[in-house]
Amino acid sequence: MTTATFQWLTLVTLTALTFSVAETGLSGSSILIPVLLATLLKGRLVIDRFMALQGVSGPWRWVVLGWLLLVLGLIAYTFLYS
Amino acid sequence: MKYESQAVAKPYFIAAIGLFLGQILFGLIMGLQYVVGDFLFPAIPFNVARMVHTNLLIVWLLFGFMGAAYYLIPEESERDLFSPKLALAMFWIFLVAGAATILGYLFVPYATLAEMTGNDLLATMGREFLEQPLPTKVGIVIVALAMLFNLSMTVLKGRKTAINLVMLVGLWGLAIFFLFSFYNPGNLVKDKFYWWWVVHLWVEGVWELIMGAMLAFVLIKVTGVDREVIEKWLYVIIAMALITGLIGTGHHYYWIGTPEYWQWWGSVFSALEPIPFFMMTVFAFNMVNRRKREHPNKAAVLWALGTGVMAFLGAGVWGFLHTLAPVNYYTHGTQITAAHGHMAFYGAYVMVVITMISYTMPLMRGREANSPVAQVVEMWSFWLMTIAMVFITLFLTAAGILQVWLQRVSTEPMPFMAAQDQVALFYWMREVAGLIFLVGLLLYIVSFFIKGKAATAT
Amino acid sequence: MWFFILAELLVFGVFFLAYAFARMRNVELFNASQLELDRISGAINTILLISGSYFVVRAVDQIRHDRSRACAHWLIAAMACGGTFLILKLVEFGAKFEAGINMSTNTFFMFYLGLGFFHFMHVILGMVILGAVALKAWKGGYSASNYGGVETGAAYWHMVDLVWIVLFPLIYILN
Repeated sequence: MTTATFQWLTLVTLTALTFSVAETGLSGSSILIPVLLATLLKGRLVIDRFMALQGVSGPWRWVVLGWLLLVLGLIAYTFLYS
Repeated sequence: MKYESQAVAKPYFIAAIGLFLGQILFGLIMGLQYVVGDFLFPAIPFNVARMVHTNLLIVWLLFGFMGAAYYLIPEESERDLFSPKLALAMFWIFLVAGAATILGYLFVPYATLAEMTGNDLLATMGREFLEQPLPTKVGIVIVALAMLFNLSMTVLKGRKTAINLVMLVGLWGLAIFFLFSFYNPGNLVKDKFYWWWVVHLWVEGVWELIMGAMLAFVLIKVTGVDREVIEKWLYVIIAMALITGLIGTGHHYYWIGTPEYWQWWGSVFSALEPIPFFMMTVFAFNMVNRRKREHPNKAAVLWALGTGVMAFLGAGVWGFLHTLAPVNYYTHGTQITAAHGHMAFYGAYVMVVITMISYTMPLMRGREANSPVAQVVEMWSFWLMTIAMVFITLFLTAAGILQVWLQRVSTEPMPFMAAQDQVALFYWMREVAGLIFLVGLLLYIVSFFIKGKAATAT
Repeated sequence: MWFFILAELLVFGVFFLAYAFARMRNVELFNASQLELDRISGAINTILLISGSYFVVRAVDQIRHDRSRACAHWLIAAMACGGTFLILKLVEFGAKFEAGINMSTNTFFMFYLGLGFFHFMHVILGMVILGAVALKAWKGGYSASNYGGVETGAAYWHMVDLVWIVLFPLIYILN
């Protein structure tokens, strides 16, 4: 099994987890953190492995990762303080 | 100048500058009428002066774009223009139609003009910026189509480059979106909705393509930077301009009766409209810094750099100031809009046309660049006009902020005219800045007549 | 291309945050409306896009080994994922329109439909780009020493995927 296949399986598993968490009917901050963390992990996989930005010199990787962190961080903020 | 037929641009540019002068004179008349309400009344009422001021601007910029296209397309296509005679014929048709329209505005009451020109057949008049009588509108379409035919044939038979393709797409878009000026539904919301398809999609859409192509053309010529580099920039800039500009139309749909979601779409996309302008600035400076030659036409380089900076300030920054729906709720239709309009039109379109004129005119007059003396005068005119425009914008912005405060934010809002009285001082200062702008423009015209020893390449 | 991708991320990012902040002011409405969404369709679509991205990774891998045809095959598989995504999305939107829901229903559905449609257009564009790359690969236009075009097309497709990876939990799951 190639690394890419393993990464793909990880992504699918994380999606299934996210989905099943929602199906249990839980809500609020109890699912917020796990779901966002799963999303962060998925995003990082796509950025670093699929887009192959890990190890690329220059600002690209940090700009894209920074985008992910900023967006997810602010989402967490608005959900926690609403 | 590589091809004889490029010279057809010359009358277009001369007419453009002539009409530019007219535009400024009417601007000054109108600026004075802001503070001396009955100045020149009843000969030239405010509404007529305003119509002439804005219509002249549009017409002379169109002359500039057309002249630029007739110069740029043959050179990029590496062949003579398909039909120089057709181009010249269209010039005279456009000039006569334009002059007749302006004279009509000035000497015939607008309602009578509408009656005389068949507005009852197809009502298109009476809307801001699209005041032209029906025959003029039809004339514009004919002139545009003839030009597009002429230019498209030239490109089809010649070399295709990013620059002439972008220019051509821009001009086609200009012609196509103008067709919405013939659509005038009775429903006022729909009327306004499609009215913006002409107005917004021109200045914040297809005109940006024309501008990008013109700037890229001049930068290739004066810097000698590789075409591949410049074309890459051009593609990225126009892609950004289109993404943000097309949906950015929504920033005109906040309060006209269109669905509420436009407040989100318009805000988000138009907030990003400064990006392509910022990239244009970086582009211009970057290319000039990486130049491979010292072009003797220093004035043209100055105009090109000026275009980048002023377009970003006027269109980008001043546009952003009031583009978000919650801000626009207060500033809509105030002097803030006027401030943005002035600097954006000057910084983006006026300056890019002058950049093109500045680069091509000496070539069409048989020299690579004007004499150093003439160039110094031209650069003086650059600084006078540009600084005057910065001050016009600042004064209008100040007037706008005060106006918003007194008339909209205040717990006891003032009536419109009472608020106007309070900002009169800014209008006076704006008028003075306008006079300096006129001096700059006159110097610019003078620079064409200064002889002196020609500059040579270094 | 990277400039372009960043600009796209910026637009989507602003919209995501607009959603999040708009939700802050109207939590009940957002939570209630969210229950009407087809979460299963959203999850399947996530799997589809992830798989499409994975296929694109395989395609890039193939061209590195100079296998043009195999590269094109993987790209076509990725496009098939994209196509299925589009069909599911149309069914989903169709059901909403039938239920009388549109962009003016409320702020939540404005975002759901608006963002969904905007992303939809990007999937189409991504497929067009992949199609062009696949065609060129099929004709042998790329090689192990020259496959920048494949990588660029792949990067765009991953961007479309990345955006959806954030969009799905944000709009379908979190409440």
